[in-house]
Amino acid sequence: MKIDKKEKAVVVIGSGPGGAQVAYQLTKQGIPVVLLEAGRRIMKEEYVNEEWPAFSQMAWLDKRTMSGNARIVKDFNGLPTWLVKAVGGTATHWAGATPRFLDYEWKTKSTYGSVDGATLMDWPIDGKEMKPYYVKAEDAIGSTHRGGRPPLPANNNYKVFAEGAKRNGYKFYATGPYGTNAAPYDGRPASIQDGFNFQGDKNGSKWNPNVSEIPKALATGKLELRTNSQAVQITTDSSGKADGVLYMDTKTKALHRQEAKVICVAGNSIETPRLFLMSASSRFPNGLANSSDQVGRNYMRHLTGSVYATFDKPVNFFRGETMAGFLADEVKHNPKRGFVGGYYLETLALGPSFLGAFLDPGKWGKKFADMMDGYQNMAGMWIVGEDMPQANNRITLGSAKDAFGLPAPNVHFDDHPNDTAMRNHAYEKGEAIYKAVGATQTYRVTPYPHTHNLGSMRMSAKAKDGVVDKWGRCHDVKNLFVSDGSVMTTGAACNPTLTITALAIRQGEYLADQLKKGNV
Amino acid sequence: MKITRRELLISAGSLLAYSQLGSLANAEVNIAAQPGDQEMIASMCKALYPHDRFPMSIYMDVAAGAIKKGNADTGAKISFRAGLDGLKINKFDKMNFKKQTKYLKSIENTPFFGLVRGHTVVALYDHKEVHKIFGYQGASFDKGGYKDGEYNDLSWLPEPRIEEHPDLTAFLDDSSPKKYASLKIKKTF
Ligand SMILES: Cc1cc2nc3c(=O)[nH]c(=O)nc-3n(C[C@H](O)[C@H](O)[C@H](O)COP(=O)(O)OP(=O)(O)OC[C@H]3O[C@@H](n4cnc5c(N)ncnc54)[C@H](O)[C@@H]3O)c2cc1C
Repeated sequence: MKIDKKEKAVVVIGSGPGGAQVAYQLTKQGIPVVLLEAGRRIMKEEYVNEEWPAFSQMAWLDKRTMSGNARIVKDFNGLPTWLVKAVGGTATHWAGATPRFLDYEWKTKSTYGSVDGATLMDWPIDGKEMKPYYVKAEDAIGSTHRGGRPPLPANNNYKVFAEGAKRNGYKFYATGPYGTNAAPYDGRPASIQDGFNFQGDKNGSKWNPNVSEIPKALATGKLELRTNSQAVQITTDSSGKADGVLYMDTKTKALHRQEAKVICVAGNSIETPRLFLMSASSRFPNGLANSSDQVGRNYMRHLTGSVYATFDKPVNFFRGETMAGFLADEVKHNPKRGFVGGYYLETLALGPSFLGAFLDPGKWGKKFADMMDGYQNMAGMWIVGEDMPQANNRITLGSAKDAFGLPAPNVHFDDHPNDTAMRNHAYEKGEAIYKAVGATQTYRVTPYPHTHNLGSMRMSAKAKDGVVDKWGRCHDVKNLFVSDGSVMTTGAACNPTLTITALAIRQGEYLADQLKKGNV
Repeated sequence: MKITRRELLISAGSLLAYSQLGSLANAEVNIAAQPGDQEMIASMCKALYPHDRFPMSIYMDVAAGAIKKGNADTGAKISFRAGLDGLKINKFDKMNFKKQTKYLKSIENTPFFGLVRGHTVVALYDHKEVHKIFGYQGASFDKGGYKDGEYNDLSWLPEPRIEEHPDLTAFLDDSSPKKYASLKIKKTF
């Protein structure tokens, strides 16, 4: 469908799990949508099964700067995040783990109490309200182990992980839940265990919007997908309502304007606040919808870290699905461990190309080389846990400019002592898992460029405490919504995309209803 | 935190290095164009990431890439020239491994070191022959993926359970904010 630029349209910005889901929910109900995506559409035939070429094919590489005490600031200064600029968003890269929030993770302030230096806050919604949306999200993604869908088989990396977990007395390990088909589902085939899940998945077994919500929304005839179209400013009318989006053709650099009656922003936790800050005006001098001064603050990236180990026998962990191994025993809040919140352990395999860059950034010498030399006998896992929101972990507009002359975002990130305590605990447990099955060398790996980007446009009951309300609607601008993981008040221990999807389904249904009633 | 030039080079040298390959300007004076220069840089690459299993030809390939980067712009050229000169004067390639490591430590803060190390860690472990030596098989899509008996051929451990534990749902559901708020124990950080 073609929508006139002069027509006051529903405009969604960003086609990742958040934006594509909202666009699908609306078009499914007959509401026309313009979907602006900064990247291009890469079809699965084009995906490259090599790590660096695939990375350069889709990564968001526009200029960004960093500050803060986290090690990442030093290791990967020009590249704070690992995000995708393409239709389907970062889910083109995503591994597929789909755990849910625990009930108290919606209410961390009341559960954990005050933590020095952290800006914990309760979400204005709870687990009970979200439950039906989690079921819908799992069905949309096709999560294994849920809705009667079968588990993925054990690969070699999982065998090491599961047996090590068992010998440590852990119970809650399994090969999922994961968003990659173990059996054909929703028109997509079962995994052929070809690896390269991160590189897009040529087989199309892995869920991502580019193979699901986007084609479904296009099939309704109500979607206009505009690729290579990067939103650079949201404009407002005299009453303070959003009335249009200025966007740039990233190929020609020509600037266009789409008139809008409702705007949903889903550019992920750096680009979304950046767009709001770039939309400052005399009416909104601190940036759009920023009377609370919360736009860009409380940026989170999850705890993260990895443990790799080598053994005296082959593992060949790169064969088969990239993740597909999951341990929940350490997820529960138990302050006896010396920190609040909890974490999951998940299997992860990298090829030598990525492993060399990520194993110990900046390191060289014999110990490093010896670890790499054990590649064939190596197993690996990733740590994902709740990190503390902090007011100064923050996205701002820096003084540097990107290639378009736009202010490049600066990402400030300090580790909170709770993050460090939890990471050390997880390192120890991860090593214990591998030692129990005979590891000859273990390696504690620092966080990679951020894959989980959360917060920065936090959801709050009161306007003064956050940016959006319980529907993701801006407190200050009533026809402006945020539809991605940046709305997360706190991040919980679990990988975020299932929750982003659940929130987007809920928001889409709400917005469709409000549009039909003429309330926006 | 203040970012030093070295740190910038290290980050640029590793992750962003890949995207910079091939975008090099035409140079008039070329650095490391003398006979033996590439061998000298290769000996440095090998001392940085020593693998007995790798033939010298792999390190030579990596060195060629580093030299190309060393000629990328004037800044790179002058630091690369100085660094290479240091290797030559000290006969780096004739030192034993221990002495080499010591020497590399002494120049660790130079842009030359940052450039060569950052390039080497990316180019070496991305090298097709290294993948072969490591037993990494890479892409399998065209062969229909890794087969049953390949992706799960590990036989030195028992077959694990793949389903969730029957108690998992109860474990996760038992997470009421009220109950967990009562766990008030002093934090240690
Ligand atoms: C290697 C890797 C593994 C991961 N594994 C998991 C996992 O196992 N489980 C999990 O839950 N999550 C995982 N994630 C995270 C997951 O990918 C993200 O949580 C998810 O994609 C976020 O969805 P989103 O819609 O908020 O943002 P994104 O998916 O990042 O989409 C944002 C989109 O908006 C576009 N955009 C940005 N700014 C603009 C603009 N101004 N104008 C127009 N378009 C714009 C971008 O190009 C992009 O396409 C992983 C991520 C990576 C990198």
